[in-house]
Amino acid sequence: MCSYKPELQATAEDFDEVKSLIKAGADAIVLGNQQFGNRVCGDFTLDQIKSATEWLHLEGKRIYIMVNAIFHNDHLKQLPDYLKTLETFGVDGIIAGDQAIFQLLEDLDLTLPLTWNPATLSTNYQTLNFWHQRGLKRATLSNELSLDAVIEIKQKVTFPIEIQVHGMTCIFQSKRKLIRNYYNHIKKEYHPNQTRFIKEDKKDDTHYPIFEDINGTHIMSNEDLVMIEYLDQILEAEIDGLLINGILKTRSYNEKMVSIYREAIDTYLNNPRNYQIKKSGWRQAIEDIQPEQRGMNTGFYFKEQIY
Amino acid sequence: MTTKQKPELLAPAGNLEKLKFAIHYGADAVYIGGRQFGLRSKAGNFTFDEMREGVAFANKYGAKVYVATNIIAHNENLDGAHEYFKNLYEVGVSAVIAADPALIQSCREAAPDLEIHISTQASIANWKTAQFWKNEGIPRVVLAREVSVEEIREMKEKVDIEIEAFIHGAMCISYSGRCVLSNHMTSRDANRGGCAQSCRWKYDLFEDGIDDDIAVSEQADEKYTMSSQDLSMVEHLPDLIEAGVDSLKIEGRMKSIHYVATVVNVYRKIIDTYFEDPDHYQIDQAWIDEIWKAAQRSLSTAFYYNEPTDKDQLFGKPDRIPKYDFAGLVLDYDQQTQMATIQQRNSFGVGDEVEFFGPHFYHFKQTITELWNEQGEPIDRAKHAMMITKIKVDQPLKYYDMMRKQK
Repeated sequence: MCSYKPELQATAEDFDEVKSLIKAGADAIVLGNQQFGNRVCGDFTLDQIKSATEWLHLEGKRIYIMVNAIFHNDHLKQLPDYLKTLETFGVDGIIAGDQAIFQLLEDLDLTLPLTWNPATLSTNYQTLNFWHQRGLKRATLSNELSLDAVIEIKQKVTFPIEIQVHGMTCIFQSKRKLIRNYYNHIKKEYHPNQTRFIKEDKKDDTHYPIFEDINGTHIMSNEDLVMIEYLDQILEAEIDGLLINGILKTRSYNEKMVSIYREAIDTYLNNPRNYQIKKSGWRQAIEDIQPEQRGMNTGFYFKEQIY
Repeated sequence: MTTKQKPELLAPAGNLEKLKFAIHYGADAVYIGGRQFGLRSKAGNFTFDEMREGVAFANKYGAKVYVATNIIAHNENLDGAHEYFKNLYEVGVSAVIAADPALIQSCREAAPDLEIHISTQASIANWKTAQFWKNEGIPRVVLAREVSVEEIREMKEKVDIEIEAFIHGAMCISYSGRCVLSNHMTSRDANRGGCAQSCRWKYDLFEDGIDDDIAVSEQADEKYTMSSQDLSMVEHLPDLIEAGVDSLKIEGRMKSIHYVATVVNVYRKIIDTYFEDPDHYQIDQAWIDEIWKAAQRSLSTAFYYNEPTDKDQLFGKPDRIPKYDFAGLVLDYDQQTQMATIQQRNSFGVGDEVEFFGPHFYHFKQTITELWNEQGEPIDRAKHAMMITKIKVDQPLKYYDMMRKQK
């Protein structure tokens, strides 16, 4: 019997969501504070992270903290204390994407396990092996990879690999306040809490969510990644972490997604044939609650790119 | 008084001819692309033989040649990297510019003595990251465009590593390397040289739940866009020098010879003038005017002083910038007859007001009164590409001087 047990990860925006996602079947929760994390769903204070960690550990579940901002000198003033505190909480890991993290963990003599996630820059096994030699414990692969490339990387590295399987992916980050700049330019009042999206010119069916936070402007993918029907390939390759990114989605949607993927993963691991029989039903269940404006696709997993 | 060393002026060179002009006009170093592993798949790019010739030319001037190997590789792109770096080393280039650790590792193994500079694609924006690379044995980092002059000063104070920073040219509006708009909208991989510049397109912007069918951009009569003005530090160069920048970098391997020569000429002049007498340095309006002759977009100081606003982006109709053509290249000048031999690069003729310029900020204007072809026959216009012409010119010229004409 193989010992492979993938970790189903989900993002949470507050403690209530942490609990509901665990109840729905998540193995691990991803959360963070916006000052140090990019595209964090909520904005957890250290006290809140502490409570979440304690609760999750009592449940036998794991917690990863997003510390994936692109750091500027100012970040470095508070980062050491922040990281030290996270270590005292005993969080299961931090997710980071700035190369400074390797130096920081070494300088501070911390053993916080590092999930290396530099967004678009995690694209080949030699790169990941380089960072592994410098201390990463796990790595999140870029979303713009084919599934074949993901599988090849998994085969060529010795540490756990994570990919996103559901939800929006980030396709652009600027340090500039681009929405605010635009509103200034057209002399329209800017309301920070308003949600927004952009469409490509003359492509009415496109829908790219766009938002600003203290780290700048972020644009998300046109369609939601939905890998529910291809989990067999992912699980057969023994990919270690499967992330459902719940950013800009409702609680009920995220909870439902976690429960569907939980069931699908468990079904496959128990009996792959049953997974094949049931997968179109899960797909339908997702489609039923998919927001009208949001298409579904498989990202770059089965798509060719030119350059 | 300045305590700083004169920084390197680093210029782009899309092909061998541009390399020669960049160096002749005063660049201390140029960066080029080879046939593999570089991000400008459409720039001319160099074969190893052309690189050899480029390096030989640079050596005569005491200049250096760097090669951009700055793609973010996928598994299948790694084949041949070892061989490629070995060849680069044998060709004699001074450094490679890389962002992907897979290529950095490959270069170290294949050519341990070849210097590696970390590319701006790695988004290095803090001193700790600079320190990380210093401890890795890397001599130089190219900073992210998002850092300020103050942040650079702090980095230089805290870490003993060479810093290369952009001073002029087009820029990503995103963190370089962290944008895959092109991948998603056109299936072209931005980080492997396929960028379609989707950020500069026009978009409709909507607010959720508010008149879903009417774009904010439609009401405003101005589409949403994210196009950055070009960077120019022409008026502020001493700030970067005093912050401790070691290499001042001009963007643009795709740009023309006229662009490269003009921009290099101005910044060479500024650096030399500043170091002659830093205490009495004053900006000369002629330098700014000259920069505008090569400008393609409005100019901004981007992140160097403040966070950029809408005034640092391009909206609506482009600002009117007078455009200049590279009309001819001076091949020879006869002092006695005052006759210049000029190779045509764009159409010109009798009656045109042209401007001649050369290295060391040499400039003068003249109206063409008489023009001859190679056979010595008088002609009205030089219409054919690369044709050889003769013009009587009052002031002396040299090979590599250029003749430009307003469009």
